[in-house]
Amino acid sequence: MSAANNDRFIELIREYSNTDLEITGEVRFREDLSFSSLDFMSFLGELEDAFDIEIDLERAKNLVTVQDALDYLTELTD
Amino acid sequence: MKTIREMLDRSFMLYGKEPAIRYLNKKEVCELHYADIEQKVKAIRAALHAKGYEGKQISLIGESSPEWVETFFGITTGRSAAVPLDVMLPPMEFIDLINRSDSEALFVSPSFEKVLDLIRSSCPKLRDIVLLTPEGIAGFTDGFTEVQDREYCPAASDLAVIIFTSGTTGKSKGVMLSHENLVSNVENVEVEAGPGTTMLSVLPIHHAYCLTCDWIEGFYHGVTVMINDSLLHMAKNMKRFNPDIMLMVPLMIESIGKKIAQAGQGGLPEDPAVIKAIHDKIFGTNLKWIYSGGAALNPYYIRMFRALGVEILQGYGMSECSPVITSNGMTEHKDGTVGRPLANAQIRIVNGEIQVKGSSVMQGYYKMPEETAETLEDGWLHTGDEGNIDEEGYLTITGRTKNLIILSNGENVSPEMIEERFGMNPLISEIVITGEVNGLTARIYPDPDAVEAAGLLEEALRAKLQEAIDASNASEPSYRAITALVIRQNPFRKSTTHKILRRYAAEDQPLQ
Repeated sequence: MSAANNDRFIELIREYSNTDLEITGEVRFREDLSFSSLDFMSFLGELEDAFDIEIDLERAKNLVTVQDALDYLTELTD
Repeated sequence: MKTIREMLDRSFMLYGKEPAIRYLNKKEVCELHYADIEQKVKAIRAALHAKGYEGKQISLIGESSPEWVETFFGITTGRSAAVPLDVMLPPMEFIDLINRSDSEALFVSPSFEKVLDLIRSSCPKLRDIVLLTPEGIAGFTDGFTEVQDREYCPAASDLAVIIFTSGTTGKSKGVMLSHENLVSNVENVEVEAGPGTTMLSVLPIHHAYCLTCDWIEGFYHGVTVMINDSLLHMAKNMKRFNPDIMLMVPLMIESIGKKIAQAGQGGLPEDPAVIKAIHDKIFGTNLKWIYSGGAALNPYYIRMFRALGVEILQGYGMSECSPVITSNGMTEHKDGTVGRPLANAQIRIVNGEIQVKGSSVMQGYYKMPEETAETLEDGWLHTGDEGNIDEEGYLTITGRTKNLIILSNGENVSPEMIEERFGMNPLISEIVITGEVNGLTARIYPDPDAVEAAGLLEEALRAKLQEAIDASNASEPSYRAITALVIRQNPFRKSTTHKILRRYAAEDQPLQ
């Protein structure tokens, strides 16, 4: 994935989590960023718009960390 | 009106040319009028009648869609009963419910095509399995047209719906609702709506809350019900569809609340133009009313949304009451309460417990006479909730008498059902499942002897326990997954009869 897309992805996480935590690959959406299940769904919806992709809900259920989401996003955008 | 058939015939007559449903088909907004729905409902009803489904149960599993709604009304305006099932359930769970409900036909989302053979082989009573697609429905109804069907109109006391709901222990229970239960509920909810009013339906359609309050209520008033295609798109669809009214659960309100807080940067503006801009950015241009139910809502959000011109009306109910018991109304409401009883409901408080009697109280649990007798006594439903009624008749919920976790997405979880799974794990001495903001937490007191014998240090113990949790989660829908693990240093506090005191589950102190 391009550096610009990577930055956009991190920026979206920050917007949704309103956190000062450093966003690394190990950061977990639920436990570390306090995303509720619905927060996470909304965030994925934003990713769809930002990157013009279609997210599979079944795959989305297995995304625990930022790295998981980044790997999936890379798969969809490359 | 006493039946869904009477209600819907009236709506078709009054609202034929009005838009009934709006939905997305590959990102394009499509619309069906009441007259379109009427045609499909009649064809499905005629096909079911001709194929001998009177007096039978018919299961439905799928996402919200025009086909789901048409099929539901095709079933319930005849003399069959619908069994709406949760599309998020693992196949073996909904197969169990299809069998337990004695369903003889199944209408199912195409997303389950891969498991149709498994369903067929596991559900011997099923005669027809129909895909919830335009082609699937057309194939089922092909050749069947409206017949003079006065002789197979449902009666008020006929079974209309069986809705499965979680219990405090053991199996989920099939709540039997008659036509009168549902229609009297719809007639008695106070809402100002009619043709031209729009609602965006975002909740799971198999739940009594969405089914009755979005769809049956919506069609009763001739509103346009718009279908949200996915929770991923709820925020976007609110702005695309611009609904006037929405039904939500507290989880949704809290999630939107976070966005409002970010947009207002911690405080709410006073400039009306800025308020409108935030309102339209978050809610779309028209939203004025949100009905909130399924779980408790912090009144903080009511004030926050009100400042932006959206009134949240909290209500209270349960599937066993079709489901609305009390509701705040558009003309009269009181923050911090769940409103006043519907006109068809009597409420009393006995030893702190809320009990309900009235025409919306269920017929019982399907084939569960003991559980029915425990819950229904002389027509009074024991809700398992605690509350009090003020001098103006407003009900406030103060707690639960039964061990049921109600998540902020409105889902009920029986902690004992999950805890039982860990009973055979030698590393676990005691376990309590609690509900937190973000989901379920497993609080485990490990067996010290077993841990020592296995030579496990803290990190290895955590990994072993997480393995057990992952195995449990594999057989649950995502909302019932355990998302956090707390390893205790001390056993749980217990009563004099050695039962774990759940209200102290978060405390981890040496016992006196």
